[in-house]
Amino acid sequence: MKALTNINARSLADAVAAASAAAARGQVFAFSGGGTDLLQQIKDGTNQADVLINLRTVREARTVSVSPTETWIGGLITLTELAEHAALSGPWAVLREAAASVGTPQIRNVATLAGNVTQRPWCWYYRNGFPCFKVGGSECFSVHGENQQHAIFGGGPSYSVHPSDLAPALVALDATFEVLGPGGLRRLSAAEFFVLPNQNPARENTLAATELLTGVRIPTPGAGVVSTYLKITDREAWTHAEVSVAVRLQMEDTRIRTASVVLGGVAPIPWRLTDVEQWLRGTALSAPVARQAGALAVAHAQPLAKNGHKVPMTSAAVERALLRLIPA
Amino acid sequence: MSEAVQPFTTIGHVTPRVDAIARVTGQARYTNDLKLPGMLYARVLRSPHPHARIRHIDTREAARLPGVRAVITHENAQVVWGAGAVAGGRQYSDAIKEITRQRRYIFNNPVRCVGDAVAAVAATDRHIAEQALALIQIDYELLPFVLEPEAALAADAPRIWPEGNLCLDVHNQAAPVVAEHGDLAAGFAAAEQVFEQRYDTGFVHNAQLEPRCALAHWQGETLTLYTPTQGIANCRHDMARDLGLEDQHVRVVCHYMGGGFGNKNQNQDADLIAAILARHTNAPVMLEYTRRDDWLGMHGRWPTVQQYTVGVKHDGTVTAIQLIGFSGMGPYRKNAGGIGGLELYACPNRSRSLSPVYTNRTTSGNFRAPSEPHGVFGIESIMDDIAYTLGMDPVAFTFKNMLRPTAEQPFTNYSLDACIQMGVEQFGWQARRNVIAGSDAGPIKRGAGFSFMMFRAALGMSSAIVQVDARQRYTLFVGVTDVGPGAKTTMGMIAAEALGVPLSQVEVVSGDTDRCPYSVGESGSRTTIMTGMAVVEAVKDLQQQIAARGMPTGDDILIASATPSPTIEGKMRQCFGAHFVEVEVDTRLGTTRIIKYVAIHESGRIINPQTARDQIRGAVIQGIGQALHEDLLYDPASGQPLTTGYYRARHLTHLDVPTIEVHFLEVDDGYGPFGAKTVGESGIILAPAAVANAIFNATGKRMTSLPITRDKLLGAMA
Amino acid sequence: MGDTSAGSSSPQEGHPTAPSHRTGLEGAGLTPAATASAMTAPSRTAISLTVNGVRHRVTVEDRWTLVGLLRDHLDLTGTKIGCDRSECGACTVLMDGKPVYACCQLAVWADGADVHTVEGLAHDGRLTPLQQAFIDHNAPQCGFCTPGQLMTATALLHTVPRPDAAQVKQALVGVLCRCSNYNAIVEAVVAAGAQQGGAA
Repeated sequence: MKALTNINARSLADAVAAASAAAARGQVFAFSGGGTDLLQQIKDGTNQADVLINLRTVREARTVSVSPTETWIGGLITLTELAEHAALSGPWAVLREAAASVGTPQIRNVATLAGNVTQRPWCWYYRNGFPCFKVGGSECFSVHGENQQHAIFGGGPSYSVHPSDLAPALVALDATFEVLGPGGLRRLSAAEFFVLPNQNPARENTLAATELLTGVRIPTPGAGVVSTYLKITDREAWTHAEVSVAVRLQMEDTRIRTASVVLGGVAPIPWRLTDVEQWLRGTALSAPVARQAGALAVAHAQPLAKNGHKVPMTSAAVERALLRLIPA
Repeated sequence: MSEAVQPFTTIGHVTPRVDAIARVTGQARYTNDLKLPGMLYARVLRSPHPHARIRHIDTREAARLPGVRAVITHENAQVVWGAGAVAGGRQYSDAIKEITRQRRYIFNNPVRCVGDAVAAVAATDRHIAEQALALIQIDYELLPFVLEPEAALAADAPRIWPEGNLCLDVHNQAAPVVAEHGDLAAGFAAAEQVFEQRYDTGFVHNAQLEPRCALAHWQGETLTLYTPTQGIANCRHDMARDLGLEDQHVRVVCHYMGGGFGNKNQNQDADLIAAILARHTNAPVMLEYTRRDDWLGMHGRWPTVQQYTVGVKHDGTVTAIQLIGFSGMGPYRKNAGGIGGLELYACPNRSRSLSPVYTNRTTSGNFRAPSEPHGVFGIESIMDDIAYTLGMDPVAFTFKNMLRPTAEQPFTNYSLDACIQMGVEQFGWQARRNVIAGSDAGPIKRGAGFSFMMFRAALGMSSAIVQVDARQRYTLFVGVTDVGPGAKTTMGMIAAEALGVPLSQVEVVSGDTDRCPYSVGESGSRTTIMTGMAVVEAVKDLQQQIAARGMPTGDDILIASATPSPTIEGKMRQCFGAHFVEVEVDTRLGTTRIIKYVAIHESGRIINPQTARDQIRGAVIQGIGQALHEDLLYDPASGQPLTTGYYRARHLTHLDVPTIEVHFLEVDDGYGPFGAKTVGESGIILAPAAVANAIFNATGKRMTSLPITRDKLLGAMA
Repeated sequence: MGDTSAGSSSPQEGHPTAPSHRTGLEGAGLTPAATASAMTAPSRTAISLTVNGVRHRVTVEDRWTLVGLLRDHLDLTGTKIGCDRSECGACTVLMDGKPVYACCQLAVWADGADVHTVEGLAHDGRLTPLQQAFIDHNAPQCGFCTPGQLMTATALLHTVPRPDAAQVKQALVGVLCRCSNYNAIVEAVVAAGAQQGGAA
């Protein structure tokens, strides 16, 4: 591995200061939460960091605090903690299930919420070192290449998909993203946090290099909320979603009052299906309703040459996710 | 014919491996665990281009990096890797290697695939060696490239070799490998229906957990090479030939290795590069391949295209089979490129024309039953199709058409009917199969598939030495390495049985050419039957000595050796198998799950039931991976591989595999050590075919391309 | 054998302008130390950690991985490197009781940690019930993934004393076995749990 310097951050502010100092020195730096993916990228050369700012030594941002109206989850909580957290039961299923679906126990034991949400794409062109948009280039090699795994929504000019499992779940839960940088704390809605490639094809979010995702704020789901995360993968585990669906429903008796339906793995950012959400309002959840929602989900899909299979998959996945939430 | 086996004292009983404790305590020393005083670490730089000529290579900056001890390239280390490319893909023949014209060097110019080695560095630690690689400057002239075997045969295709892209055969002739039996035209004339189908299969890596590595150490003119090899004797001979040494000046040691599955036969380029770096630094050198190095330096099962034409009568009798096949060998002909399967059928009119073709993908190597699983997938897919089209049960169709012993071609024994029949019963074939394929209403559709095989269990030459001392301690010397199947234990068990002593009284010495006699190598599923036979013969000799002279006393020992070359008198000796699998295909998500898997095998007498069972289970699971997931995908525009590594190739995990039910039908045909036959490769041969046929039975859609990934499945459903 | 070109002195096939095939290493590679480039020394950090109950104070290069520290500097080679990129699981060790991939942890991040490796399982030559079950059920084939399987299963048995097969598969999913001896590994862990749970 290339030579690098590790800096143990003592606090979030310390980490941001270390980043600013490295930036001022002209060094390439990276924050390290769990570090699993980061070290892969450094070994591959797709991340050139000279300085790693180790967040393991930060004691903050590792807890969950719940009030009747709002829940705060620290960005440095591990996925294992998230998946097993006692405060995140019942209506939180979508977040727990999403956390539990990531990688393997070994990865979840160190991986953080912030790291999962901000991980770079797993597009095989980007990860194999092609000079694509994601590294500041001016081409997406998937367009005329092997695009089986690429976006059917929101693509262009880059078509890599957002790899995070937590991100769709957090968007479905209407999370606000807390970002700490040299200028202080910012709070961003999902719409402000994630960025489509037609705005910035090099990035998946609006974090500045010296900024950290320190936590998320979520309206505490009340009575009548049900949720789930369905992840379709090419093998049973240890991989990213081909398609995933995060659903949160606010039920009123058997009817849906409000719905959030967010896709993972099919778009450059977590993909909110606002048409489906509106259509579901006021319906009584049933198998035919789920089926129709699934059909509606892909009405605007724009597959590439080799990822047409993702369209029926997405439709079926939305339907199956909703079916899970029909009361027994 | 088949005799029911009689129970023995040691053989046939579940026996823990003789080295089991070392394997579960971390004490087992694999090559990369070794350390020698003053040892250097080495790394290899590889071509980033699929086809390019090196105009200039500048290693000066790399050489100046503190800690770097040597940098070698094609300019200063021009060594032919004899086993890396051989005419006709015919390994184990010095004569053929001598006449081979299209040779692979340890560093090649031009480079002919992404991953072709271009330089190596030895340094005081591996980080420095890696850094030095990045400092090597290479000026490449990019050349046009071609990835697909059929495209490579086009008149205007880029030439990977001056002679063209059709691989040269053992006579250095560029011609397809043709095998003709009977009269094909007459066969088709006799047919009442003719079926045609094209199949293609993926590029599958052995993906053994232990990446290639080698530790080379010179003492004077003698090289000691510690390396994970499936054959210490073959590796030693290859090293000696490539380096211009006598065999006895090379010692190869391998006590533990992390799998191979066929691709660590012969010597590796890693072995040669380590030896050369060690020579020039005058220090022991540990060369380590990264996982990507291992993936791209030498790959596994060759990708194929298979065009079948089959003639049948309405009653299901096959009258003619024609296969025109193409195998992508990468830029070097390491192995045969075969497509097996036609020989499973009795049909007298058969023609196979096979073109092994150079491409600018990485090199194809041997992977567990190198020519069989992809070919059996092809032939048994079209036969399954024919059976269902004719309204026949594929099992009945098979009984009608499979190869059976004849007066002209007797077998030592024949168990295929019995294997299939046992599978039909154990699996519940009639209840699980849809009589009309795809008739399950779905959307999650169940279906069942079947396939069968026979595979050589021939005898051949190998050696063993056995000795006894005055305390009645027996020591067995066999030149085997233990790739994973448990050869040390198996050899010990055969010796113990033959000697009539408990296994605890037998010490097995293996994995070191200085201590052990020639052994055939852990390839071709030959160790148990060939080296095992040598053990039996050596023990006989020892027993005769004991009978003549009595047990040794004092410091005396008695030593016996044997190098038998047993024959089977013109008979065919085969192992047999039938697999039955039930799948569940989610036709809306494109997910295939294996619900039930029953594998029936006749592998003669089973020496160690536990390790034999797990050879089959492991092979089946690898075959399921080949059927559903594994492929090295290339970007057509750039010639870059996209799916290197375990994550990208989607290797099966604990959660992906069902329990594989294995049943052995034990017989003793009177040949081989106590009647033992082939096990290791047999289980993978028929697994992809069985899975693909089950998917057809579930969905009614014939999948003609391996791996059967979601995009292909959902494409067929659309 | 005197030089590197002993195998052949012919130009490489298919190369119309064959390179000059010098032999030996003159002009390449051998390092003149005096002209060493101005590479800065890699950053180093003093850390302490406990491995299998033994306290170590070591100065590590910041770029060393935990598995590199264990194998190269603490002589604990039982832990294997199969992929070096969290794709195979052979390098799994327990860090503060939890399985992690030691190939994707920097050693410097393990400062203060309590690490357990396969070498720490048996005591005074006495195998753990899990190790014995691995032997009895033929769980290791080539054995290269075995340390990773064992450490992951050890962590499981601490939290779930009598796991069923489904629980074992969930817990061990992060360690590949290319010999594909998954059935036997699961059988071994279930058997070890049954024995351990029965004794408890």
